[in-house]
Amino acid sequence: MSSISYFISRLLQIIPTFLIVMVIIFMLVRALPGDPAIAMADAKATAEQLEQIRQRLGLNEPIWVQFGLFVKNTLTGNLGDSILLKAPVTEVIFERLPASGFLALYSVLFSLLIAGPLAFVAALNRNGWIDITIRSAFQIGLSTPVFYIGLILLTFLAAKMRWFPVGGYGATFWEHMHHLLLPALTVALYTSAIIMRNLRSSVIEVVDAEYVQFARAKGLPEHIILGRHVLRNALISTVTLLGLSIGNLMSGTLVTETVFAVPGVGRLMLDAIFARDYPLIQGLTLTFAVLVSIIFLLTDMIQAMLDPRLRVS
Amino acid sequence: MMLKRLLPHKTQMLVLLRPGFLVGLAILLGSLALAIFPAAFAPFEPNAFNYSALKQPPSFEHWFGTDNLGRDTLSRVIWAYSVNMQMAFVATIFALVIGVTVGALVGYYGGIADAIFGRCVDAIITFPFLVLVIAVVAVLGPGLTNMYIAITLVGWVYYARLMRAEIMGQMANDYAAAGKVMGYSDRRIIFRHLLPNAITPVIVYWMTDMALAILLGSSLGYLGLGAQPPQAEWGVLIAEGRNFITTAWWLSLMPGIAIVLTGLGFSLVGDGLADLMRPRG
Amino acid sequence: MKKILMATVAVAAMMSAFPASALERGGSLTFARYDDSTLIDPIYADRNPDIWMVTNLYDTLLRTEADGKTVTSGLASSYAVAEDGLSVSLTLRDGIKFSDGTPIEGKDVVFSLQRAANPDLSPWAGLLASVDSVSAEGNTINIALKNSDPTIVLMLATFNTAIVSADAFAAAEGETDQDKSSSLSIEGFVGSGPFVMKSHQRGSMMQFAANPHYWREGEDGKALPYIDGINFLVIPDDATRILKLQAGEVDAAEFIPFARVSEMQADPKINMELFPSTRIIYSPINTRPERADGSANPLANVKLRQALNFATNKDALVQLVLHGAGKPVTSGLMASTTQLATDNGPLYQYDLDKAKALIAEAGVADGTEITLTTLAGSADDGIILAALQQMWSDIGIKLNVAQVDGPTRGAKNRSGDFDIHTYGWVNDVNDPAQVAGWLGYNPTAKAVGTGWDNAEFNSLYEASNTEMDPAKRAEQYARMQEIYAEAAPLLFMYETPFAVALSQDVKGYVQTPLGNNEFATAWIDR
Repeated sequence: MSSISYFISRLLQIIPTFLIVMVIIFMLVRALPGDPAIAMADAKATAEQLEQIRQRLGLNEPIWVQFGLFVKNTLTGNLGDSILLKAPVTEVIFERLPASGFLALYSVLFSLLIAGPLAFVAALNRNGWIDITIRSAFQIGLSTPVFYIGLILLTFLAAKMRWFPVGGYGATFWEHMHHLLLPALTVALYTSAIIMRNLRSSVIEVVDAEYVQFARAKGLPEHIILGRHVLRNALISTVTLLGLSIGNLMSGTLVTETVFAVPGVGRLMLDAIFARDYPLIQGLTLTFAVLVSIIFLLTDMIQAMLDPRLRVS
Repeated sequence: MMLKRLLPHKTQMLVLLRPGFLVGLAILLGSLALAIFPAAFAPFEPNAFNYSALKQPPSFEHWFGTDNLGRDTLSRVIWAYSVNMQMAFVATIFALVIGVTVGALVGYYGGIADAIFGRCVDAIITFPFLVLVIAVVAVLGPGLTNMYIAITLVGWVYYARLMRAEIMGQMANDYAAAGKVMGYSDRRIIFRHLLPNAITPVIVYWMTDMALAILLGSSLGYLGLGAQPPQAEWGVLIAEGRNFITTAWWLSLMPGIAIVLTGLGFSLVGDGLADLMRPRG
Repeated sequence: MKKILMATVAVAAMMSAFPASALERGGSLTFARYDDSTLIDPIYADRNPDIWMVTNLYDTLLRTEADGKTVTSGLASSYAVAEDGLSVSLTLRDGIKFSDGTPIEGKDVVFSLQRAANPDLSPWAGLLASVDSVSAEGNTINIALKNSDPTIVLMLATFNTAIVSADAFAAAEGETDQDKSSSLSIEGFVGSGPFVMKSHQRGSMMQFAANPHYWREGEDGKALPYIDGINFLVIPDDATRILKLQAGEVDAAEFIPFARVSEMQADPKINMELFPSTRIIYSPINTRPERADGSANPLANVKLRQALNFATNKDALVQLVLHGAGKPVTSGLMASTTQLATDNGPLYQYDLDKAKALIAEAGVADGTEITLTTLAGSADDGIILAALQQMWSDIGIKLNVAQVDGPTRGAKNRSGDFDIHTYGWVNDVNDPAQVAGWLGYNPTAKAVGTGWDNAEFNSLYEASNTEMDPAKRAEQYARMQEIYAEAAPLLFMYETPFAVALSQDVKGYVQTPLGNNEFATAWIDR
């Protein structure tokens, strides 16, 4: 199979995925107890007022009519109006997406910078004290809730030392870099721990593998072995893992965004769920599905490039 | 040749004597003891108020201090072990079994099953994980059992995807083809030949996942969707203590240390097992 | 030595001549909020972050004094209610202008009030149900009523009747009234309040600037507001909001958790304000004979409900949850700051013996299980639960818990699928009719979902809504409160202030008992 037709077939596979996502999210939000009317005017409205709101929002239509409308509108790129924010869903999402995207990329960058070198050091000193120290240090990042780490960083580095602003997003690129450094680091402490563990494990596996032993026996210099075999194979699994955890990463920023007051989509999603804002939850989920699908596609492509075996199958 | 693959090599058994693995094992066994017999270790009743000892710093009487209701922090941290260790295991084991089985079958047979399955997995993975869990818990109602169901509903796909990729990688190896030529049943090839070789990354991931399950359970506890108060749970304890991070640091730090230690135990043991089970050429 | 002494004396003299609180104009205030506004419009404001901002952007015809009870002039310089109580006339102040410099005229008032009374547009239309028609002749506004309405004057001092510009709405882009309001809030904002909307980045920041055409005068005889503008930052996390204030990045932070009030009070750079509020925390009790699942409901027995109230040590709750910054309710139906609230001391003062006696009379079995539904993730609810579990175990009640999120709790309340659940309330208007209707009048919302239905209460409530004699109305309210407290459809708990922490140099900021953030008289001491 050529790369192009592989690419196209992967692209086509996104369509059914997308349909499934639409059905699941549509059913799921309506299965949540309570509805937008209750969430909106809970402790104030009379029964008639609630009925009025439901009527206005079209919640009294038969469920299949609502679903039909949802599919039709989505196909035309109209995600409806947010009930909570009283504005078009697409507009709201595009306002909020940059902050989350910036944070996600920033933290991936951090994670690779932290995890990459240390994983090699740990792997090559396997089970020595250096290895155990590195792994224990990462374990702290992996096991501490983000709201706690975030708060500690904010308390000491931002509020006490005044090196960073206490939360927020800023207006320019450099301000974003400054404001988001602590939240990115918070997320990275967690992601880098996962990447480090995996990378270390695959480096060890490759180093032990026969072909590497063979290369070594042939007398190839160590840096060439590391570069050619170890690095490439370690990359394959890291790319898979990054692809897999990108979903986690983006929804994991939900709590981080709240603690650091970053106006991103994670926090928006939480607000949307608590407001039973059906259009906004649906819109965010679909946007998320598109983004993650694209990332998966990219990881698949990169994997296929790195590992020709996968392309054949 | 096949037998050798299943049983660890003699030199590999030495892994079990390495300090990392031993420390990890000690931590996990200790945690398990605390989880099973909390009453034997906790000096106080975990939910008993003591109005005359509010927010007291660590002392000889209260090693980890007391909280804003005068409850003994050490006792609460210890009682939380049963909840959190249960979380680590129950929230992951079903996901592991389902994921590994499905992933192996799909990876081996491929074809239509793989295609249908791939789309379902993609659909679940493209969903924001935490959001799906929050939504499922909201629908089923909060509480630990429903939280486990929610985490399993989502969690198994990660194992399945990992397993499928590994199996497909293994099938490119000679021995899988050899098995077919020798007329072994599919079941035997999958579960006796491919699986043992492909399981290493899954086990390593499982150990990480157990630590992650504690963390996820804690986040959900923080959002009020996990353990129900006044039951002590590390995430809830940290969340309760975070308003006092500067005035009563012990409230959040002590459960924090418990989470980190337990996570470290899982990770060290996981790495040891990975070394042990890594097939030798 | 002598010189230094002289200098000190001189400084002291200067300080007494110009007190530290000498008013200063200018500067802008940065305010950290717990949630963002969505659409600040008198009639579309339906969440507190919107409602509490309205009067900064739009002024009302009448105003209430700082005590929240006395009505005084606003955009209208005077008002009169007809003898028969069936009409109100008001005279608009001379020379008042919208923020774009156009005059505020009768047609704007007619437009605003008709909009506010239109049930198809405004969720608050019910508050103006008595309004029949609104007309204007020159500077005189006439409001004809369908029936006498003791609350109408207060309603004209309430956010939903604030005045918007008819011309601006006519010219605004958009199909529906709400679309027009949204587009006005983004560009070409026109308002009648002390501030105008300058910019709004949803979810992170909002800026107000002073309205140069505002009419009300400050203490220095010049037009309000004193400050040039306000920057609102949205910081949803309590701890982060406080850190932001401690780091000096903001001048004020609202909704300080009560657990941290004493810490803020001890900080010399911070002025910890506890503004009196109409906020009450209470727990509706399901009084229906059967639970939603069909089983018999022990709580239908009033004696058990009274017993639970007696077995609850509210002073302890106030200490544990509010760290002392609050007090047990004294009227079952409303906060003590509400008009017509009666005060006969704390309701159901903790009395374990009475509680045990009532339990015995009620014939409730030892170990009876009751479920408390709490708000997931709420630290306060967690403490309430833990405390009630202990307190009620003394009378043989086993309290279970179900944690849910807000809308789930709302849905359970509406369908009667609960035993007891936590709830809170803040008045939106200064009159008790709103809260009494919600908590006790069955037709409104089944007496806050409890299913409690008392004929005498209902007829008193209906009568009070058209009773123009203040003394008689007060009597009716006194009786309603008596009936309500006796029947105990709620677990009566406590009232709390609004906790706002300000930097020491911010003066004159007020949060009213209704929660409204008042920035018009705020100033910064530099």
